[in-house]
Amino acid sequence: MSAVLKINGAEKTFDDGLPSNLSELLTILKIDTATVVAEIDGKIIERKDFAQTSLNEAQAIELIRFVGGG
Amino acid sequence: MAPQTFFELKNAVVGIAGLGGLGSNVGVALTRLKVGKLILVDFDVIEESNLTRQNYFADQVGQHKVDASLENFRRIDPEANLKGHKTRLTPEKIVEVFKDCHVIAECFDRADQKKMIVETVLTKMKDVVVVSVSGLAGYGRSNEIVTRRISDRLVLVGDTVSGTGPGVPLTAPRVGIAAYHQANAIAELLLNELHIKLARNSK
Repeated sequence: MSAVLKINGAEKTFDDGLPSNLSELLTILKIDTATVVAEIDGKIIERKDFAQTSLNEAQAIELIRFVGGG
Repeated sequence: MAPQTFFELKNAVVGIAGLGGLGSNVGVALTRLKVGKLILVDFDVIEESNLTRQNYFADQVGQHKVDASLENFRRIDPEANLKGHKTRLTPEKIVEVFKDCHVIAECFDRADQKKMIVETVLTKMKDVVVVSVSGLAGYGRSNEIVTRRISDRLVLVGDTVSGTGPGVPLTAPRVGIAAYHQANAIAELLLNELHIKLARNSK
């Protein structure tokens, strides 16, 4: 069954159902965990907790990606 | 006539994490604004290649960036209240050296370091706002560099996609645009949101 997550204000459909946790979501989106800050419903999730953080369709997920340069 | 300054800023403390293309230029702007105190942190020394975009001079090559920035900012304002730390920032060090700051400017080069400081400030430091930059490499596309308020304590400057890489160098104009976005966001935060706290501290 497909599922929908709200990521950075836009809805994204997952045909194979919800990713089981934040870590799996980042893998599916091909985002490097070393360079992203993740926020769910306004709360920052630390990198060490990515694999233990489950997801649901009601959440507002913000993924802030960093690229090099400064 | 005395130069006009914002009275509210005299009680503000701003941390600058990294004194490369962003930090060396953010510091110039904040010194000219007469922000009360600046805490400057970098472990590196100036290389000739840095002169393409960083606020240093040919005769400063080989000096620590902290020492050269202290010298340059004091040439702008001999009364500037500046504190320098020659150290590599870790999560523990960030909490320690920036503990008195109202705002921290994330001015690192590497993406994983940017993430590290933003995550540290947002999870380990109460009430401090971090102004970070992602996406400033290359040239042109000035208007794609924007300032966005991600949340109460996070402001993000940049185009979010232009990382450094082969054929995509960092250039003075585009790094400068991002640095001045960052300094302007800090001025806005201090004057619009933190002025009540700053006024209270002065009593």
